[in-house]
Amino acid sequence: MATAISSPVAVEWYPVQAFFLIAVGLAVTAYFFIYEATSTRKSRKLSTELSAALVASVFLGFGTLFLLLSSGVYV
Amino acid sequence: MAFRFACMHFLFFSIAIFWSSASADLVLSKVDRRIDLTSHIVRVSSSIKVENAGSAKVSELLLAVPDFQAKHLAYLSASNNEGKGKTKRSSSPLPIEIVQADGMPPNLTFYSVSLPKELEKGDNLLLDVFSVFTHLLQPFPEEITQADIQLLLFQDSALYLSPYEVKFQSLTVTVPSPRVESFTKLPNSKIVDKEIKYGPYENVPSFSYNPIIIHFENNQPFVVAQELVREIEISHWGNIQITENYNLIHGGAHLKGGFSRFEYQTRGRGVSSFRYLNVRLPPRAHSVYYRDHIGNISTSHLWGDSRKTELEIEPRYPMFGGWHTSFTIGYGLPLQDFLFQSEGKRFINFSFGCPMDEVVIDNLIVKVALPEGSKDISVSVPFPTKQWQEVKYSHLDVTGRPVVVLQKNNVIPEYNQYFQVYYKFNSLALLQEPCMLIVGFFLLFVTCIVYMHTDLSISRSTPSYLAKLQLEEVQATVQQIQKIIYQCLSIHDKLDASLQEMPRTGDVQTCKAVRKAADASFKEHVKELTTLLGFLQSSPQATSIWPKVAELVSKEKEMQEKLMLKHTTIVDSYEKKSSGRDIENRVAGIQQKLTSLRQDVDDLLDFLDNI
Repeated sequence: MATAISSPVAVEWYPVQAFFLIAVGLAVTAYFFIYEATSTRKSRKLSTELSAALVASVFLGFGTLFLLLSSGVYV
Repeated sequence: MAFRFACMHFLFFSIAIFWSSASADLVLSKVDRRIDLTSHIVRVSSSIKVENAGSAKVSELLLAVPDFQAKHLAYLSASNNEGKGKTKRSSSPLPIEIVQADGMPPNLTFYSVSLPKELEKGDNLLLDVFSVFTHLLQPFPEEITQADIQLLLFQDSALYLSPYEVKFQSLTVTVPSPRVESFTKLPNSKIVDKEIKYGPYENVPSFSYNPIIIHFENNQPFVVAQELVREIEISHWGNIQITENYNLIHGGAHLKGGFSRFEYQTRGRGVSSFRYLNVRLPPRAHSVYYRDHIGNISTSHLWGDSRKTELEIEPRYPMFGGWHTSFTIGYGLPLQDFLFQSEGKRFINFSFGCPMDEVVIDNLIVKVALPEGSKDISVSVPFPTKQWQEVKYSHLDVTGRPVVVLQKNNVIPEYNQYFQVYYKFNSLALLQEPCMLIVGFFLLFVTCIVYMHTDLSISRSTPSYLAKLQLEEVQATVQQIQKIIYQCLSIHDKLDASLQEMPRTGDVQTCKAVRKAADASFKEHVKELTTLLGFLQSSPQATSIWPKVAELVSKEKEMQEKLMLKHTTIVDSYEKKSSGRDIENRVAGIQQKLTSLRQDVDDLLDFLDNI
């Protein structure tokens, strides 16, 4: 018996998801750049930088994907 | 033209005489033909009663079509009609194949229909044969002016052309309007309103051909798509995107002389032209657009309900004979309406032909772009098509999307049947696109990190460079000192809180434990501070801020001492069971001092923050 296949997330939720994911992503990005600007060469920690960068890119990556989907660019 | 038909007539008769029939056992006891000329697509439906008059069993029936018609044949189907009268019902279509019959007359194409069961002697069978021809109607005159009506010529035989003897036959031709210029008059022919009837004729020998020509008015839209490219793009994120590129022409009589917009709009001159096209889209179609190379074409209307979506489009100009137009229609459809899963494979179930009414498509190309990473692709189409595969690069693609291409010539609305493309797809491959975006952003951040970490100075021995390095070190040290002070202040707050809790709970032990922990951490902080302060004092770059830092540290130390004093006093008094007021009086002085010290420390911290 054939069953219908639908999208992993309901299409109606794409704009909301895009908004929140990008908001969080931008907040973490802001933290990252503030950290880069305020810390000195001595006090900077690579692990902090990388983890902030990773979290920011995961949120921004998914946020951009859903932004594309909600604006009609189905990848 | 009449001469040509007369020749053909003679030819068929002469050959029929010499041809000794191998299939002469079959006799068509009744043939009813209906030819529909109401649009520019010619549809012929024949109901044929076959009888086996010989002794041998027969399992196939030959259908003969003259070559000049066969090259325009777009569709041919035969089915066994099992019912009678009003309860007619047709079974599934019977297999038909083109055959090269030996010893048969030339200029004929033969199609062999496999009968559902072998016919014994004396058995009979009722067949429904349906054939569709395109480009068969010839405009005559071939060029007309804007005000003229369009007249067409249709040529066929009044007698059913068959390799078998026909006992009883009749023909009905339906025309779109009662205005018929002329039609070939034969015995037993008459015109009634929109129907021209020939027959009945009885006991006609095989290969009889009696040409007829009907010259009639037909102003139906002659929409011919010289090329239609339909692109169906599947996205597993919830959408099927359809893009249809049309290259249309009005296939009727060409327009002679000029076109007058004034005449067209005020007097309605231009009956042979068409202005609107109706497109029937599937239900829940969204994001519909209609544009051409210039841009959006605003003359379109869209409405829909739960069963269909209708789009009415108007080309940029009314279409007269021979005029071209090309445009693009696009729309999105919800994934769950067309994509299904069965036995581990996914398949799209979609309609093959053009969604417009009565359009002849000379060259139809259907492209199905599957998601990137699809494997084991197979296609199921209910009729023969040319097939091949391509690769398409779209948004966020690396290896490209596999595209299944189906191509068919001479497509008519009868081919609007569902076809399936089966493929295998791993759901995890969906995450490929977001992962690419994530990697992209991450590389951006890594670039920033690398930039901040690299030292781009050309010379590393200049005094200014060394001074900068030292200054950075001083800044880092000051930050560390500040951090320690903040930690101390938070310990102060903890101690204060435990002191306030004590009279309420009466738990002296907890209070003492907090004090002990605080003492230990203070000791550690003092050690750290000593090394940091030592560095700061020796550094020449720190001379400007050194007094402030020293003051901060000493004030904090004083604060620590006062707080300890306060703590000891309160705990002692509590243990001696002094009254609350008494305790308050004793520590009032210390408290005042503490508050002012805290103020000073905060000011100094702010000052250092701003450097």
